[in-house]
Amino acid sequence: MSDSIQVEVLYAHPHKADLVKLRLPAGSTLQQAIEASGLLQKRPEIDLAINKLGVFGKLCKADTVLRERDRVEIYRPLIADPKEVRRKRAEDGKVMKKGGGDA
Amino acid sequence: MLSALLVMAALAVVIGGALGYAAVRFRVEGDPLVDKIDAILPQTQCGQCGFPGCKPYATAIAGGEAEINQCPPGGEEGIRKLADLLGREFKPLNAENGVEKPKSVAVIDENTCIGCTLCIQACPVDAIAGAAKQMHTVVDPLCTGCELCIAPCPVDCITMEPVGETVDTWKWHYPVIPIKTAA
Repeated sequence: MSDSIQVEVLYAHPHKADLVKLRLPAGSTLQQAIEASGLLQKRPEIDLAINKLGVFGKLCKADTVLRERDRVEIYRPLIADPKEVRRKRAEDGKVMKKGGGDA
Repeated sequence: MLSALLVMAALAVVIGGALGYAAVRFRVEGDPLVDKIDAILPQTQCGQCGFPGCKPYATAIAGGEAEINQCPPGGEEGIRKLADLLGREFKPLNAENGVEKPKSVAVIDENTCIGCTLCIQACPVDAIAGAAKQMHTVVDPLCTGCELCIAPCPVDCITMEPVGETVDTWKWHYPVIPIKTAA
């Protein structure tokens, strides 16, 4: 096995995504990947206390050890409140079409 | 009698050995035709052809199980290239599989997204970044415009936006010369 891993760090806005490819020593963590990507300097609005982290759509802690070809993602908080949206839809008499049913 | 038996046995050994050597020496990794077809297909992984992705469709074309006119994102140009590669006759796109549309990318309405992850699970190319109760965002360069994320969204916040003309996507247009009426 090689002792370095290839990972990507992604911070996305609609139509402008920052996707940084990195080569890190095996055993690196999410935190190290984000620091190495330089995105904290490039996008000063990232606040690791607010923006949560994850790998391929799953939330992860900053000290999680990365695997080969992982994509570290820096998320942004939601604007809409899911509970509010659900309440509104229930009032309108619409059904949640979970999983893409015809509703 | 004995010599005949020996000759036949020796022949069997020699030919068997030659075949075995050839099988190892000229081994073909995979089917090169499938890879060539797959290279022409647009890699949207949209499934409109009726197969679960571009590679399975390429395998089916190579195996003679599918027609070459089942790929709407590839469009007429794709069918022509496939026809050239396989030496088959050009056919217009099968309307059952869909219609050719301009290249688009999905856009998520940030004010409506509730972070449910259903679109992320549907995306065949991992072009949506996001996790449970976090903002979901489409990564334009990765999005193939397959539209598979639109149906699962419970709040209908995903729309398709045609990709505008850029230096990379610009094509030479046919000249249009307006005809003036004689005075």
